[in-house]
This record gives sequence, C-alpha cells and structure tokens, in this order.
Amino acid sequence: MTAHHRSTWSALPALAATLLSTTAGAHSASDAYLTLTEQPAMKTAGARQTVVHAQWDIALRDLDFVLKLDDNGDGNIVWAELRKHQQAIAAYAYANLMFSADGGSCRIAPTRQMVDDHADGAYASLMFDVTCPGAPARLTLDYRLFFAIDPSHRAIVVFRSGDNVATSVVSPDKARIELPLQGNQNMVNR
Amino acid sequence: MKLLRHALDEDPGSLAAADRLARAYIDFGRELGDAHYAGYAEAVLAPWLAKSPTPPLVLIDEATILQYRHQFTDAREQLKRALAQGTDNAQAWLTLATIDMVQGDYPSAVHDCSQVAASGGSVLGIACTGNVRSYLGQAQQSLVILSQIAGDAPSLTPAFRAWVQGLLAETAERLGDWTQAEDHYRKALALTPKDNYLLVAYADFLLDRHRPEQVLSLLRDCSQSDTAFLRIALAKSALHSSDLPQYVWIMGARFEALAQRGSDYYGREQVRFALYLQHDPRLALDLAQRNWQVQRAPWDARVFLEAAQAANQPQAAAAVLAFIRDTKLQDPVIEPLARELTAQLKSPTVSAR
Repeated sequence: MTAHHRSTWSALPALAATLLSTTAGAHSASDAYLTLTEQPAMKTAGARQTVVHAQWDIALRDLDFVLKLDDNGDGNIVWAELRKHQQAIAAYAYANLMFSADGGSCRIAPTRQMVDDHADGAYASLMFDVTCPGAPARLTLDYRLFFAIDPSHRAIVVFRSGDNVATSVVSPDKARIELPLQGNQNMVNR
Repeated sequence: MKLLRHALDEDPGSLAAADRLARAYIDFGRELGDAHYAGYAEAVLAPWLAKSPTPPLVLIDEATILQYRHQFTDAREQLKRALAQGTDNAQAWLTLATIDMVQGDYPSAVHDCSQVAASGGSVLGIACTGNVRSYLGQAQQSLVILSQIAGDAPSLTPAFRAWVQGLLAETAERLGDWTQAEDHYRKALALTPKDNYLLVAYADFLLDRHRPEQVLSLLRDCSQSDTAFLRIALAKSALHSSDLPQYVWIMGARFEALAQRGSDYYGREQVRFALYLQHDPRLALDLAQRNWQVQRAPWDARVFLEAAQAANQPQAAAAVLAFIRDTKLQDPVIEPLARELTAQLKSPTVSAR
C-alpha cells in the first residue's frame, strides 16, 4: 500500500510552499511503518559487526499530538515548523526504540530525516542504521512509540534479509519481536 | 479538550476528570470518524482499567471504544462486568442494546431497552424501544413512538435530539418515505453538523436517490473518515469522474493498512468497495459472509444480498434471507432484492456453482 511520494527535508524550495496537512486525508488509525534491511555480510574476514539499514515512517499527526508541531495552530504543519522540530522528533522517536542482538545491545545511528506522503497523509521518515557487534543470530526489537498515549498504535515491521521478507505487527501486547539474521549463516557458509 | 486534559493533569487521581476526558475523546473521534481518539481515550482509562474492581463508568467507556472498533464480544464482556456491580445502569444497558441491534439479536435488545427504561428514565427507554421496533417490521409504530419524544426534546441535549432525529430518518427510510427521511436527516444535521455517523447515513440516502453531487458537497471536509471517504468515492463513480481511479487507490490503500494492522472495523464498507469500486462480486460475497458473522444490521443484510446477486450465488444468501423473513425486516431496497433471490433459490434453473 505504501506507494509514497518522497521528499528530502533538505529539498527546501520544492517543499517550502507545501502544506502538510495533519488532518486532511489521514486515515483513522495510528500506524507507523518500520522497514529493516539486513546488510549482506561483508566478505572481509575482519568484519566484526552486523548492520541493518532502517526506515521508520511515523505519521506527522501522531507526532503532532505529542510534540505540538503545528506551532501556529492552524491545523497544518508547514515545512518550517517541521524543520524546527526535527531534533525533537528524532529525540522522541529514538527514545522509544531499542535493538539488541543475542543479548548484546546495538547502536542506532540516524542518517537522514525526510517527509514521506502515504495514502493517508504525510509521515516523517527517519532513516538510520542499526549496528550490532559480531555476527549474532537474532535481532531483537523493543518498540514502545506512542503506546503510552495511544495503545491502539501499531507498527508494521517489514524485515528483509537476503531473499526473505517477513512482516510483523508490533502492539503493546507484543512490543518485542525477534528477527532471524542471516549474516551469521552466510559467514559460516563461507 | 485542552481544558479537560489540564483538569486531569491537575488531579490525575480523579475518576470524574478521567471519565470526562475519555468521553470527550470518544465523542470527538466518533464525530470525526477518526479512531485515533479512541486510542487516546483508552490511554486515559488505562490506569483505571487496571484497578479491581474497575469502576462501572470506566467499563462503559471501554465498552464504547470496543464497540466502535466492532470488537463486540469484548465490549459485551465489559458491560457485563459493569452490570455485575449494579444493574441500575441505563448507559450500560443502552450500549448493550446498541450492540444487540447491530448484531441482529432483537429479543435481547428488547430486553435491554426495558432495562434502560427501568433504570434510566422513560425517554431513553422509549428511544431504545422505538429503535428496535423499526427493525422488527414495526417501523410505523416506531415512527410514532420516536416522534413523541422528538416533540418533547427541547429540554434534552442537542446530541440526544440529533440521535432521535437520525433514528426517525432511518425509520422513515424503512417505510420508503423519502421526503420525511430527508427532513429528519436535515434536522439531525442542523443539531450536530459534523456527526460522521449522520453525514454518512445521509450520504447513503443521497446515493440511493441518485444525487451524487450533493454527496460531494456534504462530505467536502470529511475525507479523514474512512467511512465518509467510501461515499465520496462512490459518488465519484456515479458521476464517472475522471479522478475516480485516484480515489479507488486511496480507499484500497486505507483498507489494506487497516488489514495490515489487524483491524477489521469496516466489513460493510469493504463489501461495497469490492462490489462497486473494484467490481469483484466474488470477493464482495466473501467479505459479506465474514461481515455477517460480526454485524447484522439492515445495511449488512443489504450488501450481502447485493453481493450474492452480483456473484450469481443466491444459495449463498440463504441464511440472510431466513434472517430477513424471521425478523420481518422492512426496507424498500432489501425487500425486492430478497424476493428476487428467494425466487432464484426456488427456481430449478439455478445451478449451484
């Protein structure tokens, strides 16, 4: 469903005049979309870490409810308002997401923030890399974004690893999911 | 809502403050047709839901949220818990009656309505009874009963009066009295102009009367509601509008997003989408069968029959036809459709496919 129209936040001239409506066209439930792509294991024998590339799409209207992005209160979030709150969005979002692998913790390194138009409105799109030490067999995701303010929030997680694609839904009852990594296997095979 | 939130923040231990904020979120979300607010309400109620025994007020609020999400079994459970703490609870009985009506369990609904009258005063009970009767082949009586309290109404809240006007509109529709139905829809919307439920019901009325342009102007500001969006798309289809594909795509994407998250709010709407916008009668019939397990209001019967007819599978509608016969449902659209399908069922030329 997520055929999107993407625009980088740095592409200011194109977007500056665009109003990103928080209400018009928004669909009636709170969803976020987290796409994780395991980077193929490096061939170098010295590769001692596993990297997963991630894109996390979070509805602006949901962020607005918590972070009050709509500074002038006109019901629309304009680009300037978004840019001003970019740091706050990142701080809030990343505080509610954790990764670990085989018991060891992993590091989240944000790369970019963009705006993504979904069928139901505009989303903040957070791009980041998850780096875990060694070649673990499993990646564990701990998710709690918005659960405290809206227990009906769901994250649709798509995990790509090699040729496999697995989809799962994260909810307050199932806030932690385990994803099998292939890097380990590939390394062993080599 | 800001004030209510502030009041709760000032006094987080106050049940009354939590209930007021949760109610405001629920009502606002219903008005907009936007499920986000049900989630916000649930978060407000969460600390109280964890308490034992949970206050009846909170159980009813939670049941209302669950009902809104079509989780009827869970909603009933909460209402039973509320009534276990005291049967003298009109709001609990009324919510239960509403669920029984949506699910086509009219004998239970009649009982619930008598309990509403016994515990909550006669006006609420009369509205409740009038509502059930309109589904039981007694739409004429229902109209008389509801008109009585509509006359009494100035002392009542606009929301309640709008509810009664909406019931009158639907009852007049049952009787095929379009002029009266439209008059009541307009009166209802004059009282609560943004009510999503009323707007959508009136839009359906207009679509049936072949007045799609008016649907577009009526729902101009309602595209955030999935139910309203479907009516906009249906109106675009009736007008052979050039941007129809865009609307169909967005509607499909929204339903897919709901399916992905495991929500199943809109069975009835999904049938109509499959049937009239995707032109897939078999899928529509499949969806109608699933929806019938959850909801059995007149519209659910109607979309089921329409799908069965389009798929040329009258035998699939046997249970629905029996339900219509047993309940004596009156409806100028459903009745001829049911007769036609019943005739096809009896006719030996129809082979089971």
